[in-house]
Amino acid sequence: MECDYHFVPVGEQSLNIVFPEVIDAEENRLIHTLARVLSNTDVGIVATIPAYHTLTVNFDFLRTNFTSLTNEIEALIKSHPLLKDEEKKHIIELPVCYDEEFGPDLKSVLEYGKITFEDLVKLHTKDPYLIYMMGFMPGFAYMGSVSDKIAMSRLKNPRAKVPAGSVAVAGKQTGMYPIEAPGGWRLLGRTPVKLYDPRHPKPRYNAGDYIKFRAISKNDYYYIQKLDLKGKYQLKELF
Amino acid sequence: MKIVEVLEAGLVTTIQDLGRPGYQGDGVPVSGAVDTMAHRMANILVGNDKEAATLEFCMLGPKLKFACKTFIAVTGGASQPLIDGKPIFLNKVYSVKSGSVLSFKPMTSDRYGYIAVANGGFLIKPLLNSRATTVRLKLGGFKGRCVREGDHLPIAECFRMPSFQYREFSHDKKSESEKNSEIRFIKGPQWDLFTSEAQMQFCRSFFTISQQADRMGYRLDGEKMSVPESNMLSEGTVLGNIQITRDGRPIVLLADRQTTGGYPVIATIIAADLSKFVQLSSRQQIHFQPVSLDKASSALVAQNSELKKFKLFLETKRYQYPIGPIRKAAQKLEILLDGNG
Repeated sequence: MECDYHFVPVGEQSLNIVFPEVIDAEENRLIHTLARVLSNTDVGIVATIPAYHTLTVNFDFLRTNFTSLTNEIEALIKSHPLLKDEEKKHIIELPVCYDEEFGPDLKSVLEYGKITFEDLVKLHTKDPYLIYMMGFMPGFAYMGSVSDKIAMSRLKNPRAKVPAGSVAVAGKQTGMYPIEAPGGWRLLGRTPVKLYDPRHPKPRYNAGDYIKFRAISKNDYYYIQKLDLKGKYQLKELF
Repeated sequence: MKIVEVLEAGLVTTIQDLGRPGYQGDGVPVSGAVDTMAHRMANILVGNDKEAATLEFCMLGPKLKFACKTFIAVTGGASQPLIDGKPIFLNKVYSVKSGSVLSFKPMTSDRYGYIAVANGGFLIKPLLNSRATTVRLKLGGFKGRCVREGDHLPIAECFRMPSFQYREFSHDKKSESEKNSEIRFIKGPQWDLFTSEAQMQFCRSFFTISQQADRMGYRLDGEKMSVPESNMLSEGTVLGNIQITRDGRPIVLLADRQTTGGYPVIATIIAADLSKFVQLSSRQQIHFQPVSLDKASSALVAQNSELKKFKLFLETKRYQYPIGPIRKAAQKLEILLDGNG
């Protein structure tokens, strides 16, 4: 693959592969591909953390060091075929109930964009969003980009408690709160699906996947929640 | 399976190991021991593998009652441990029998202590290849929480400890008494975002650890730093990263840190100095000193080989005369005389 990047040491066991500082889906997908490729090598890599424009690589100092690892990564990038055609998109559908009870910021976002409730639902559910990065907590997906009409900036004073499952926007970003936590994103609705289970902490989606929201009624919300609690609700994968 | 009964919980007492580093890309924090050196030393002392889990506590240790014979070691901060009311030394292996009670007086200095138990440590079921607890996420450890009075922690019985009398580590702890503490760092990924005045200020100032210090990170007090104008996109975090928040205060990211962060990272504390840093009290003045990546790496290699050397020393002592049956018999005899056999 061909790309513009450089290496920065972050510690004696970590380095960043830094790409141009932009929020760009193409560049970000390349980072996720690179993360996957690196995870399958045997050069002493312990973990990778993909983010918007960086890939943090943690390594075992007993097996490698900054210089030899960067040489190896460089060679790997050079020899790897272009990723554009090779990568299949994973699109996962997530049901969301857009409702004032679940989305206390719905009203202000409607006023912000001067749109109707129906417009907002249409705008937020229209396209799949790329998960640029996971962070904050397990399963918190930083996704983008939403329509300018609903891209309202975060609250000046964050809420002390955002309920688990809340679906929200912050500027051009959108995401879900897997666990009750303090947060300043604008809440539009809630998904009935359990996004974090301490017994199985690995999220049901990965960075680099896409999430497409589907609007559901309150009845469906409680129905799906019941199914999901019994472990009988499968997230639908779209192609 | 035998147990240790928790009679008193102590403070923030959790089961920890070396954490789960492999899931940071999913947003799962690493967690594990805050002072990994002390944790590893505790395991080496009682002859455990490095994967074994210890009990970590902060400032005040728990009160534990053992339901079987085993061997224990306490490491880390100056925690004043006692077995059945008699003071014992840190960094040294002791035998305990069924009914023995391990208790603590509050620490006189430092922050985190570790209790290791022979024959594999605390034998709870691992989750994502680790027994570490992340309390904030109810993840791993003993029921995803701090241990409480009345909990029964599973361990395995242990009758013999090879080279028992050599299992002691003399630790020259200079830092405790020192008022000033040098902590070495390498430049962080956003070092260049800071003005040269800010960089200089960071290296010249003295900082102290504030009241807001926990397993996620320590906020530092000191002269306010000037903050870069430009915003940055969030990126992966690394143990020992020093972020500068919007209000110009440094935060050092530790075991339970979030996996990504959006504050500029001016520096990273070198791994070889982390153990010293996390144990500093709020009275001690911290001075950050820049070193090259090479220096940081060789310091880490040196620290690691020190642990290895001690482990090897214990292994070789095992084969010194008198060996084998005699000592085995002696230890068995001791059990019989104890009446717990």
